[in-house]
Amino acid sequence: MRLPSLLRRTPFRLTLLFLALFVAAAGAILAYVYFASASEAQGRARADVETELGALTAIHRTRGIDALNQALVERTIRGGPYLYLLTGPDGKIVTGNLSAMPFDLKEARREDSGEWNTFRLTSTDPDGRVEARRSIGVIMPLAGGDTLFVGEDIGGIEEYLSRLTQALWGAMGLVMLLGLAGGLYISRRVERSMAGLNQVVQAVQEGDLKVRAPVRHTGDELDELGQGLNTMLDRLEASMSSIRHAGDAIAHDLRSPLTRMRAKLEVALIDAEAGKIDGVDALGIALDEADHLLKTFNTVLAIARLQAGGAPDPKVMDAADLAADMAELYEPAAEDKDIDFSAEVEKGLMIEGNQPFLAQALANLIDNAIKYTPAGGAVKLRARRRSSGEIEYSVTDTGPGVPEEDRERVVQRFVRLDNSRTEPGSGLGLSLVTAVAEAHGGRVVLDEGPGAYGDFGPGLRVALVLPPASAGMI
Amino acid sequence: MRILVVEDDAEAATAMVRGLSEAGHDVTHAVDGAFGLLEAQKGGYDVYVVDRMMPRLDGVGMVETVRKGGDQTPVLFLSALGEVEDRVTGLKAGADDYLVKPYAFAELIARVEALARRRETGGVQTVLKVGDLEMNLIGRTVHRGTTEIDLQPREFQLLEFLMRHAGQSVTRTMLLEKVWEYHFDPQTNVIDVHISRLRSKIDKGFDRAMLQTVRGAGYRLEA
Repeated sequence: MRLPSLLRRTPFRLTLLFLALFVAAAGAILAYVYFASASEAQGRARADVETELGALTAIHRTRGIDALNQALVERTIRGGPYLYLLTGPDGKIVTGNLSAMPFDLKEARREDSGEWNTFRLTSTDPDGRVEARRSIGVIMPLAGGDTLFVGEDIGGIEEYLSRLTQALWGAMGLVMLLGLAGGLYISRRVERSMAGLNQVVQAVQEGDLKVRAPVRHTGDELDELGQGLNTMLDRLEASMSSIRHAGDAIAHDLRSPLTRMRAKLEVALIDAEAGKIDGVDALGIALDEADHLLKTFNTVLAIARLQAGGAPDPKVMDAADLAADMAELYEPAAEDKDIDFSAEVEKGLMIEGNQPFLAQALANLIDNAIKYTPAGGAVKLRARRRSSGEIEYSVTDTGPGVPEEDRERVVQRFVRLDNSRTEPGSGLGLSLVTAVAEAHGGRVVLDEGPGAYGDFGPGLRVALVLPPASAGMI
Repeated sequence: MRILVVEDDAEAATAMVRGLSEAGHDVTHAVDGAFGLLEAQKGGYDVYVVDRMMPRLDGVGMVETVRKGGDQTPVLFLSALGEVEDRVTGLKAGADDYLVKPYAFAELIARVEALARRRETGGVQTVLKVGDLEMNLIGRTVHRGTTEIDLQPREFQLLEFLMRHAGQSVTRTMLLEKVWEYHFDPQTNVIDVHISRLRSKIDKGFDRAMLQTVRGAGYRLEA
């Protein structure tokens, strides 16, 4: 089954096709060379014979049969390429270097004035080997009833042509052999490279996204294909793992609030059974918990979507307007808690973003700041253009702050530091802020606040840094 | 008032019909957009409550068709997802308000009633009057009885919204969406604080409190 499978390979089939084309072309050239050479040689021989015949008939015409006979004898003795035969009116041989007329006059084809024909001249060499050589000649009846034959042995031409043919066949055979070998080699090589790629594709089909195609850095198209395949697999693996990660995270994220809800419902049930609370209160608790769970779920979903698809429906907007609105919205809540709330907003901070999500992010930051700042403290909202051109929202509080070693951790989902557990919250606030920032091509930076502030401090400064709207968008 | 509920989820529809009926409304239910359209063509409804995802004709298709036919009945659009795009599509199709599932009944009822009311009070008003509370929209002044009440711009907008929906419950989310024009979860009671500031201005020193808290729903301005 080796050959058929080999025959199915594209490179090998292409090699065979080109080989066949080459052989056909070479054959055509060869045939042309052969026939051209043959007819050229024959034409030359015929012209020679004709000249000789002309000379001899001229002798006969001017000086008679005896002079012709004399000339023929001389020429026969002198030797030369020509064949001669003169027969008398009775058909008997008068002179010449042939033993008989090579062909009958009646069988001769009429061409031009003479009677031309080709024939095989048979001779026996001293060793007794019979040799038949191709010859041409013409029979000319002479006035007086005699017949003159003049011919030439063209066996030499034939030998030359057959040697030429042999050489050409040999060359062609060599070409075919080399072509076939080359085809096999290329086909094997391609097959090996393709086998690598095929193995990768097969492995991916079976669900293994870790495999990579071998890359030999030869820069050929197979290498390019391999590299393309690898890049594709990298992206596929990344998005698969992010989906898997998001799925795991959502499952994990929802387990704790569900567990909490179940526990609370159980306690409510026990309390209701014991008569401590009535059924309506228990249902109220259940409803509150369900709402809380839904809120958590929505936040988790929002984070997952932001991480997967970026900020939806972005529009060019003034970051300053949003900051001013948020300050106006939250200021009374802060003051109710005896927190000094202030806002410092620069004008004309154009960004490109999704307003509801950015509002949510700012709300989370301000809400956190108010939540963790003790009465008598201060919260400050700033919106400004950084020297880098980036737009920065920052919320600074005078609460306990977040120790440096915990700052990376608090932006992760559901991470709540021990000293914050007394405050209500899902632990998703900063995760959402980070997701919003990253979906807008920005980032979140956590820093220490203003330092000691009365009995409190050092406080926390959370900055949401966003790229400015590109000039063309404004 | 007469309400047409177009919702394919039988359980959700039953709950909605019951909730709205108990709030004193006359409710008809259609199981999808196509039936909803047939029912709407009969006329006489004050509000359509339309679900987004439905077989045959979906909510967007139904609302578009209704609007093309010149029917200006207010539409409350319902959707399972609070996606920004969904809200935009719904409002573009011709819906007047948008509510994300799952929702609290109080929220649904408050929004349905607000939509129906908006229709009644068509036309340009320059003065709003609720009981002895009077708001001049041109001069931007507010009086309760003879006492002039000094309000911040946002407090003025807040009171205007409450006065336009006097006697109805309005939820915190509605206030954030309609007065502040923001769609997000403020996490804490920011709206309550604004309401209590407004309350201290319009009710303090008067016998009767007009701005009332509706448990589990929000607020109501009573004459």
